[in-house]
Amino acid sequence: MNYLLPSLILVPLAASVVILLLGNNRGKAMVPVGVVASIITLLLSIALVFQVHNAPAAEGSGTIAPKILFEPQALSIALPISVAKQPVRWQLILGADGISALLVLLTGIIGCFTIVLATKQIETRTSQYIALMLASISMLMGVFVSMDLVSFYVFFEAVLIPLILLINGWGNGENPLSASRKFLLFTLAGSIPMVIGLIALAMAPAASGQPSTISFMELSKLAAETPIHGSNWVVWLLLLGFGIKLAILPLHTWLPTTYAAAHPNTTSLIASVVAKLGLYGIIRIVIPLTSHSLITEAQLLIGALGAIAIVYGALVALSKSNLREVLAYSSLSHVGFITLGLMSLNSEGLSGATLQMFNHGLITASMFWILAMLEQRRGPVSLATENQGLAGQYPKLAVLLVFFTLAGAGLPGLNGFVGELLAMSGMMRVSGTIVTIAVLGTVLGAWYALRIVQRVLFGGNGNGQHHGHHHAHHQPEMSTALDLRPLEWQPLVVVAFLCLYIGVLPQRSMKLFQADTDRISKVTEPAVKAAHPNTDQLVSK
Amino acid sequence: MDTLQVIKNSAAHLSPAIALLIGGSLLMCASIFFRSGVKRDVHNQRNLFAVLSMVTLVVAVLLSFYRGTPQLDKYDVGLFRFDSGALAAERLAFLGGFILILMSWSTAPATRLCEYYGCLLVMLSAIPIVGASNDLVSLFLGLELLSIPTYVMLGIVKTDNTGAEAALKYFMLSAFASCFFLLGLSYLYGVVGSTNLTVIQSDYDNGKRLMALALLLVMCGLSFRITAVPFHFYAPDVFDGTTVTLAGIMSYLPKVAGFVALVRLIGTGGLGESASSVIIPVLLTCAAITMCVGNFLATAQNNLRRLLAYSSVAHTGYLLLALVALVRQDADANVLYSYLAAYAAMTLGMFACLGEIEAAGGNSHLIGDLTGMFYRRPAATIGLTVSLISLIGLPLTAGFWAKFMVFAGIVADNRAGSWSIFMAVLMAFNAVIAAGYYWRVLSTLFEKNAAKTPLRVFRPSLFFAYTICTVLTIVWFFVPAIMR
Repeated sequence: MNYLLPSLILVPLAASVVILLLGNNRGKAMVPVGVVASIITLLLSIALVFQVHNAPAAEGSGTIAPKILFEPQALSIALPISVAKQPVRWQLILGADGISALLVLLTGIIGCFTIVLATKQIETRTSQYIALMLASISMLMGVFVSMDLVSFYVFFEAVLIPLILLINGWGNGENPLSASRKFLLFTLAGSIPMVIGLIALAMAPAASGQPSTISFMELSKLAAETPIHGSNWVVWLLLLGFGIKLAILPLHTWLPTTYAAAHPNTTSLIASVVAKLGLYGIIRIVIPLTSHSLITEAQLLIGALGAIAIVYGALVALSKSNLREVLAYSSLSHVGFITLGLMSLNSEGLSGATLQMFNHGLITASMFWILAMLEQRRGPVSLATENQGLAGQYPKLAVLLVFFTLAGAGLPGLNGFVGELLAMSGMMRVSGTIVTIAVLGTVLGAWYALRIVQRVLFGGNGNGQHHGHHHAHHQPEMSTALDLRPLEWQPLVVVAFLCLYIGVLPQRSMKLFQADTDRISKVTEPAVKAAHPNTDQLVSK
Repeated sequence: MDTLQVIKNSAAHLSPAIALLIGGSLLMCASIFFRSGVKRDVHNQRNLFAVLSMVTLVVAVLLSFYRGTPQLDKYDVGLFRFDSGALAAERLAFLGGFILILMSWSTAPATRLCEYYGCLLVMLSAIPIVGASNDLVSLFLGLELLSIPTYVMLGIVKTDNTGAEAALKYFMLSAFASCFFLLGLSYLYGVVGSTNLTVIQSDYDNGKRLMALALLLVMCGLSFRITAVPFHFYAPDVFDGTTVTLAGIMSYLPKVAGFVALVRLIGTGGLGESASSVIIPVLLTCAAITMCVGNFLATAQNNLRRLLAYSSVAHTGYLLLALVALVRQDADANVLYSYLAAYAAMTLGMFACLGEIEAAGGNSHLIGDLTGMFYRRPAATIGLTVSLISLIGLPLTAGFWAKFMVFAGIVADNRAGSWSIFMAVLMAFNAVIAAGYYWRVLSTLFEKNAAKTPLRVFRPSLFFAYTICTVLTIVWFFVPAIMR
């Protein structure tokens, strides 16, 4: 019984409720409470990482074996019905293995820094904004530490409520109302059909006479024992739900609208953590529990969609001029690499994808934070005008922007390189064609990344001398005073050091979850070989 | 057991319904003794009659506690049978009655207070009677006990053209539906030779095609009560033409009675191969059409009442799917009852909020009338928000479990070649469409409005009504077991 897990959910939730109840509309009096709560949450998530790292290897024959568990008998909630002659119970199981711990840490870092930066970024109703942020962090933590289907789904859905309020209430782009509606409807269009798939998963054991279960551990054990488990339609419903959340290609249209409409500070949480929910769902539910139908039906299709997303996202990012949209499509493109790695279903691919989930979260969030700081100083940032030369005006911001752009483009020595390389080398063993498309995307990725740097940072002296429409507002003498304040660059530097650490010593950080991804790939890898005997030719030659 | 003993026991177990019936009748008679002219004190009379009906309801609730433990399933030879279904119907009536009396407290028509509360209590008494009935006669009696006061209510609450239209439309169509119902009952009697439901149910599997026809006709009659397509046409006009409170009553009580009657007739299992091969496809088709029509037409509405009417139609579609799970014995009857309880909390809560906004001088007829209501009437807006989130079916509200349980019941049927999974996916997409129009209402509430005049008139009864609904909606998410 580990009380760290429920406190990860309850601390931010309690703080959120307190702020909502006690804070008034205008005052910022409750802001410190939110900041302190988010720092406590960050510390708790770091503690969780250490606990998981130091815990002895979990026993259990399933592909999901959390190292620490919280399974209180008191929280076994009975639903008032019985289905198929069995009473329906929701036994709350929280637990964490390496993959969960990594994403909990990501949520802790991004959540804490987003809230710290929001104190400077958000001018209206700051305490409510922070309260809703804390509520979303609580729900996100819940998703990542859930070890049963019902808790997972409840948290997965509940995170929508604070998010639509954040997008709608503080969105400062074009038409946040319709953007939040689109976000809500798209997400629900995936997640409500998904619940049918989850229920079918829970009831699948009943077909062979065993009691139905919602525990991931039991279900993964069953899935590993009986390879043909779960009929084919289940995997499609699950992929629909998770695919919309991760914005897989034909279902991605909510993403640019939402990112362009929401406040960049909100977007940093959505792009870095909320978009990971879909990927996490795939590695937590789809791959371990429905691996058979995934391999026979969807593996190559989803992998190819991931590769196409890489190229498509990069091309659209090249054609857009609003920096919000450029970053949105670049995020879409980078998520493609993670999809690619997941769909390789082998050891390299899965561990690379898991690491890249963390990396992508750090890099994307930092890019959106920088964008928020730029917009606070300059208004909407457009790439249509060249030679803005903002580097002269905001040197600290420029250094950080260059750093994170290079990390995103996959410069060796930084974290983006490790994850993307592993993901692609994993996919290489499944399909060379898909990797060829993806490699094309990395070139385009470097192109649009350098385009951002060149157009925004360099070329002029930052006073708008080349292009007239800024100089009325920004006098030259303000330029140094406007650079990043300590509270603004400190979080970014912390994240930058993390990126550098993972880039230089990837093995150290991958030790956290390597055992968990290997446990999955030990089951899936032979199955992939059996199902697609011809795909491995490129390597075996 | 001799007949006298059966009657005594039945009376004891029906005592809550009898108390409501007697209370209602006495209230109607009371109109003779109360002054109805201009000199009367309307305010006092309102309080008096609301308190009297509340007292009647409380007496009924107490009687249900003190009548002794019902010996379930023992008296199935008589007109009534007291099983868990009967108890659930009774609880649904108490829940609805409590909220509806609170809602009526300040909105009942001032000139017809006695008749209004009398009719309301009689309607409430009808639901336990339908729920306990074990005979075609008592079933029909219960359903008519519900619909006749409804005609009166529709006639007295609003006397303008739209009110008259609503009353007449409901009366004509309801009479028409009752004809279908009676025709079906006569066939049932003709096939089996008995009016006792236990006898009829033991004979369901006799392989006669007429049995399916009889059940279909009965279902047509009940479809009107539950506003299933194609018997839904009255709903938008009636909701639109009457007061908010009565629209709330109309969205809840007939639906409960209709579904309880359906459970009584076909939901208790043992529907044989020949009958269920006809009934289940009909129910599935009806559910599919009902939820699609309800949701698509609701999307097109600007009028909030009509939107709620079509949303009520759509919920009937979901409930019909739950009924299919029940008929197949994949889920127990609680899947319906707990959905209805959650539905009561969220829909009645919504009507109570709208009622409070109207009572405070605001307008709630069109969606646009609610623009910026958050800045004018925050408390009611929070109630509306919780109700709407529950209607969408998001977690932290009772509506989430309601939909979840229907899905669980439908997915439990995992036979090859069955339409169940398709129907579940169809319901899921309907829920998404529904989220679209509920979100439209929800976001309107928070839009900035130029006219920011706060609505200050405070109606404690309506406030309590929607506070209770809101609290129930949230509490039931965390403790779903008490939703039985």
